[in-house]
Amino acid sequence: MQIVAKRGTIVSNMSTIFKTDSLSATLFGKTRRAVLALLYSHVEEPFYLRQIARTAGVGLGAVQRELKKLSEAGIIRRTVRGRQVYYQANPECPVYSELKSLVVKTVGVGDVLRAALVPLADRINVAFLFGSLVRGGERSSSDADVMIVGDVTFAEVVSVLGRAQETVRREINPLVYPPEEFRFKLEADHHFLKKTLEGSKFFLIGDEYELAKLVE
Amino acid sequence: MSLQNWLNNGWLTEHRTSSQEITALLAVADRDLADCKTSGLSPDWQLNIAYNAALQTATAALAASGYRAVRDAHHYRVIQSLAHTIKADAGLIALFDQFRKKRNISGYDHAGMISDQEAKEMVNFANRLRQEVEEWLRENHPDLMEE
Repeated sequence: MQIVAKRGTIVSNMSTIFKTDSLSATLFGKTRRAVLALLYSHVEEPFYLRQIARTAGVGLGAVQRELKKLSEAGIIRRTVRGRQVYYQANPECPVYSELKSLVVKTVGVGDVLRAALVPLADRINVAFLFGSLVRGGERSSSDADVMIVGDVTFAEVVSVLGRAQETVRREINPLVYPPEEFRFKLEADHHFLKKTLEGSKFFLIGDEYELAKLVE
Repeated sequence: MSLQNWLNNGWLTEHRTSSQEITALLAVADRDLADCKTSGLSPDWQLNIAYNAALQTATAALAASGYRAVRDAHHYRVIQSLAHTIKADAGLIALFDQFRKKRNISGYDHAGMISDQEAKEMVNFANRLRQEVEEWLRENHPDLMEE
């Protein structure tokens, strides 16, 4: 722990960089996490049992029990079509939008990207999600726009994010800035960068404080 | 999957090329590689020009192999075909394809979604590919490289 005088608060020395094994793993058990990750990051799609079990990499029995609990609580919706039973995120659930946002920011995209960036983390000042995915109200097809400021190349970022793209079943669009160029363009009132910094962000590496330090 | 499979899938058409065509395609690539060094270009535009150079280069390799990509998903196919023509590794193709996506999302709505560094990387990539394809052509299709 260290004391940061400027903020007057105590912050952990171990910044988010090292906490790759996820917020969601702490919040939810393995099976629930996997089911919510799939259903709440693709809210427009209905899924059937085998599909969920396969994607989640969990046994059928465990998934079945989880689906039952989640359906009974109204967190997901169970529908029968012909001989097939489908499960889908339930938009009538009182915490639907909160869950959706939580999933996207953690296991849906956030955890996966954060873990994928680990090999480059010591050279990244800040990395955050921005754009329609974090603004909320996203369609299933929203791309994950990721801003990365650090001494890394686009090629390096693409190579570590390759597999993550398949895992999250979304296009990932990285935008890579070296710190000097980032600073210089912000000082020059770069429209897109300014707008992005003012908009919603979800940090994968670093935080608002790191970002402010970078711009100073 | 081979390019013959691609042909059967309707992703390619057969194409008889000539040394003139290959020379012309590489000349367009060289023109773009020179143009993208113009000072004062926005990174968006620089990336765009260098991307075009790389695409023409990949098109030359595909033509030399006897094919042309159909219009549907044209850029995507030309990029992926490098695995079969010059036997490019998956990393090179993934990077090229990510540049393609980057070029698609930039433009009117998102001016500025490309950094100077990314544009520079695209330029380096296009130069490297241009060199690799030329070496491959000399080795595998020397008849098409006669001046």
